[in-house]
Amino acid sequence: MEKNVAVYLCRGCDIGGALDMDALKAVATDEYKISLCRDHECLCGEAGRELIRHDIQDGVNSIVVAACSHRYMTDAFTFDGVLTTRVNLREGVVWSHEPNHEDTDMLARDYLRMGIVRAQKAALPEPLQVEVERTVLVVGGGITGLTAALEAAKAGYPVVLVEREAELGGWMRKWSKGIPHGPTYRDPQDTDIGFLVAQAKNHPKITIHTGAVIEKTRGQPGQFDVTLRKNGSVVEFRVGSIVQATGWKPYDASKLEHLGYNQSPDVITNVQMEEMLAQGKLARPSDGKPPKRIAFIQCAGSRDPAHLPYCSGVCCRVTLKQALMARSLDPEVEAYVLYKDIRSPGQYEDFYKRAQEDPGIFFTKAEVTGVRNGGATLKVEADDTLLGGPIALEADLVVLATGMVPRSADGELIRKYLDAKRVVEKGEAGAQLEAAKQTVEELRCLEGGEILQLAYRQGPDLPVLKYDFPDSHFICFPYESRRTGIYPAGCVRNPMDSQCCREDGAGAALKAIQVLEVTARGETMHPRWGDMSFPDFFLQRCTQCKRCTEECPFGTLNEDEKGTPQPNLARCRRCGICLGACPERIISFKDYSPEIVGSMIKAVEIPDEFEGKPRLLGLLCENDAYPALDTAGLKRLQHSPWIRFIPVRCLGSVNIVWISDALSRGFDGILLVGCKSGEDYQCHFIKGSELMQTRSKNVQEKLKQLALEEERVRLELLPIDQPEKLVEIINAFAEEVEGIGMNPFKGF
Amino acid sequence: MAQATVVRPDRKFLEEIVAAGGGDLKKCFQCATCSVVCGLSDAGSPFPRKEMLWAQWGLKDRLLSDPDVWLCHQCNDCSIRCPRGARPGDVLAAVRQKVIQHFAFPSAMGRWVNSPRALPLVLVLLPVVLLAGALGIRGPVEAAVGYVDPHGHEFYAHFFPHWLLIVFYSSLTLLTFAGLLVGLVRFWKGMQGMDRALGSRTVRTSFWTAAWGALKEVFTHVRFGKCTDQAARRTNHLLAFYGFVALFVVTLWATADLYLWPHVLGDAFPQYPFGLLHPMKILANLGGVLLVVGTFRAMMARWKAPQDGRHRSTSFDWVFLWLLFAVGVTGFVVEIFRFLAEARYGDTAYASPMAPPAYAFYFIHLVAVFGLLVYLPYSKFAHLWYRLVAMIYAHQTGRNDGVRPRERTVTGTA
Repeated sequence: MEKNVAVYLCRGCDIGGALDMDALKAVATDEYKISLCRDHECLCGEAGRELIRHDIQDGVNSIVVAACSHRYMTDAFTFDGVLTTRVNLREGVVWSHEPNHEDTDMLARDYLRMGIVRAQKAALPEPLQVEVERTVLVVGGGITGLTAALEAAKAGYPVVLVEREAELGGWMRKWSKGIPHGPTYRDPQDTDIGFLVAQAKNHPKITIHTGAVIEKTRGQPGQFDVTLRKNGSVVEFRVGSIVQATGWKPYDASKLEHLGYNQSPDVITNVQMEEMLAQGKLARPSDGKPPKRIAFIQCAGSRDPAHLPYCSGVCCRVTLKQALMARSLDPEVEAYVLYKDIRSPGQYEDFYKRAQEDPGIFFTKAEVTGVRNGGATLKVEADDTLLGGPIALEADLVVLATGMVPRSADGELIRKYLDAKRVVEKGEAGAQLEAAKQTVEELRCLEGGEILQLAYRQGPDLPVLKYDFPDSHFICFPYESRRTGIYPAGCVRNPMDSQCCREDGAGAALKAIQVLEVTARGETMHPRWGDMSFPDFFLQRCTQCKRCTEECPFGTLNEDEKGTPQPNLARCRRCGICLGACPERIISFKDYSPEIVGSMIKAVEIPDEFEGKPRLLGLLCENDAYPALDTAGLKRLQHSPWIRFIPVRCLGSVNIVWISDALSRGFDGILLVGCKSGEDYQCHFIKGSELMQTRSKNVQEKLKQLALEEERVRLELLPIDQPEKLVEIINAFAEEVEGIGMNPFKGF
Repeated sequence: MAQATVVRPDRKFLEEIVAAGGGDLKKCFQCATCSVVCGLSDAGSPFPRKEMLWAQWGLKDRLLSDPDVWLCHQCNDCSIRCPRGARPGDVLAAVRQKVIQHFAFPSAMGRWVNSPRALPLVLVLLPVVLLAGALGIRGPVEAAVGYVDPHGHEFYAHFFPHWLLIVFYSSLTLLTFAGLLVGLVRFWKGMQGMDRALGSRTVRTSFWTAAWGALKEVFTHVRFGKCTDQAARRTNHLLAFYGFVALFVVTLWATADLYLWPHVLGDAFPQYPFGLLHPMKILANLGGVLLVVGTFRAMMARWKAPQDGRHRSTSFDWVFLWLLFAVGVTGFVVEIFRFLAEARYGDTAYASPMAPPAYAFYFIHLVAVFGLLVYLPYSKFAHLWYRLVAMIYAHQTGRNDGVRPRERTVTGTA
């Protein structure tokens, strides 16, 4: 379709009074020969929008709105079938620079040039066509999975519930009572798991497969084809999204021999204690006699760098429950609780108080130094108690409060194993083979540990972050994982109690439904909600370098035999990291591509080196850094007029070619600002800013080739709430580049 | 590392502390707010946090041999600030009661005197019977030894002669004080033994230096003065304390006046009964006023205290206060009767119609004195001695060295 670009200049919000509007208009009409260029005192008002609407009726299909930042008034400037390009004159120019100054006017004109170029080059995205199967797969039939299945089914979506064991109910089915989950929060309470199981079994929209494991999961959100193996037979079906509620397993107590495990049969874990309580009879494993003194050792292996460095958050309350239950089974029992801290948040403080009130339950803070087998009784030795000096307690039974380990599988590590195995099988020669053999040896234990069996290039399961929990940045992006349409919930995501599991199951079910509807509309999920653009791969020019398939944080791309990417676009979150990765620049979005951004960079007017006006390029991540710049404008923080900013989808979507183009065009410096990377990343696309850090090493190479100072390119990481810091960074960078001097490539 | 102490919880002892007023002790979750707010707590070995834990575990031996519980003057700042309502101040008070009972010799006395059910028997029936018995044997004894009481014409001596009074009370008091001494020695050894067992015993000064330091504290109430939130309690205690000391001195003087000074100091003695302006009489009346006012104020404070969350009082506290108060008030009533009767009837007042009611009050007074003096080693009155001994021990082992000046500025959570 023929592009028909119109430019609209807003004079509101101080813009008209601070800029030379005629000169600005001349950019559109004279430089770019755009016949339709209007200005208005309040473009976002009804009159202003009516003006635009009128032109659209006359055939305009690409509008440049030079007003406020694109993050404001988005709805006001969205018109059906029209590509909108926003030019940030308000926060980016007049609110952050001296009004009616030559440099401020130059800045505004450059931004308008960039906007016009984008409006000319970009196209309106068309939604991805995906035929969506509106069924949710829930993996795991414990309390989280049951809740997720029931919630999704109640919302009207068919559910397939898959459970590994022969019966539904998970851990909770095996326990007689749970920690209290309702007022008065004082006594152990029935778990109600039986009720949930019955509800799930009777729900017409829930199909249950017990005793079943997943053999393969192929496809993408809306189209996951699942193969189950169930009692020797194979079941196949299609679902649209997946909730992974595979729960937890107890920490391996055999590693806790220093606490007496395996040294005496009377040292048991809290899970074994739970089984004993469920039988309703206290008996020592060694001689079957009823124990009268039970010592509970809290944090057994937990919060210990040598074992589980984290707190599972439930063991304290489980111990309170077990002590109370043991006391009610036999009032002669004395329970000793040795803790690091009792963690009983919220209403559970009442549960703790209840246990404290019991005259037969004794608490002390302690570092347990050992458990010794003293014949008929065990001796628990502890230090750092407030009882003064090292103490020893005599006990008939010792219960280790072990923590929760997620029942997850490290998809990326399994993939590494499979890759190495392939190398070994092929029998290629050289050092690579040796390394591969070693990897196979080390990782052999992973075999058979797969859960979802995803047919993804990047591995058969969700990638994990710390401590084997699936990588899911819960604070910023609740329930999201690095595999679109797959949502971990419950104890596999984070150790939690049954109440939290219920909430988590419900939350994940809503996400699983949301992805179905969003995908059906051809849009993407968090954080680019509603974005309809998607990457297009011009595969004829692909060199099979595999950078895109490796670097995509969401495993969007599979590979064929040769290594050519095979996109599964419903998995894509539109971050553009593939675009940044591609050395051949064959990946582009309709409204974001190497060419579009490259042209915008080239549209900036570079004054010659004798004018004393350096030009800097700022590529800001639009998730945190660009909003911070807007906030800086809102606060009227002034920044250098030498710099021109372009928002990028993610720092990872920056293609190196933009940097080298900018340098050879005569830009004096380039500032890249993204989100925090690493273990506690804040990058909205997980890997983006980290990848940029790696790529910027190549940039330094490029600078060397051009005989330019490496200080001309700077990468900074910044959270959204630090506009002052951003302005400091900008101004310091501008000053530093001025100190280095002008780029000698100007004018070439 | 020192040898690990085997900890065996004593649930029975735990229940006893609960019964003695420490009912909230299980609520403690060891946050140490109590030790932080306490102005008396020693930084090196702060209380009452550790005592709370010991009490929770029923560690009887440690608590009974702990000098620190006696360094507390129970301002109950800790109980008010305790985020859990575990009332450490009340727990320490209960522990002190258990200490007095535990070291009581003979131990049956310790249980018996403090048993609320035995109160009528202990406080009324026994002294009445014993005093009546003493009066009953007076005639036969005097006749047997041919004794003619030179004070027989005096108002109260006519009823209950001085010699009988002195023999009766001295013998019983000395008897029970022998028991007290046994208890105190055991207490001292207990403190020493526990410190040795925990490897924490240090001796900083001689016993006598320590005793001098402790006595200075007792007479100035300087430690008590650090409970600044409860300055009134210290005042009340000072009034009652000095009132009692004055009356005790006068009692000793009067005894000496009658039976010792005439042989030592000559014809000017005996001066008993003292006139209203006699220095000893002035001291006695002053002491009496201090005692009555002090105990009355203390009782009123205890009466009102539960309303502001301060003290919870047990029968252990109330019996002691009522006895002190009763001794003071009946003392004045008896004194007024004597002056009135002597003013009206002169030397024959003992035969006047005012005598029977006066003697009745005098008898009540004697019963109250019995309750106070004879039961001293077993009642709350024993705190005088146990606290003194614990303070001496604390001085000797340097426990007071780490008491820091109290911060009175309370700031926010910054």
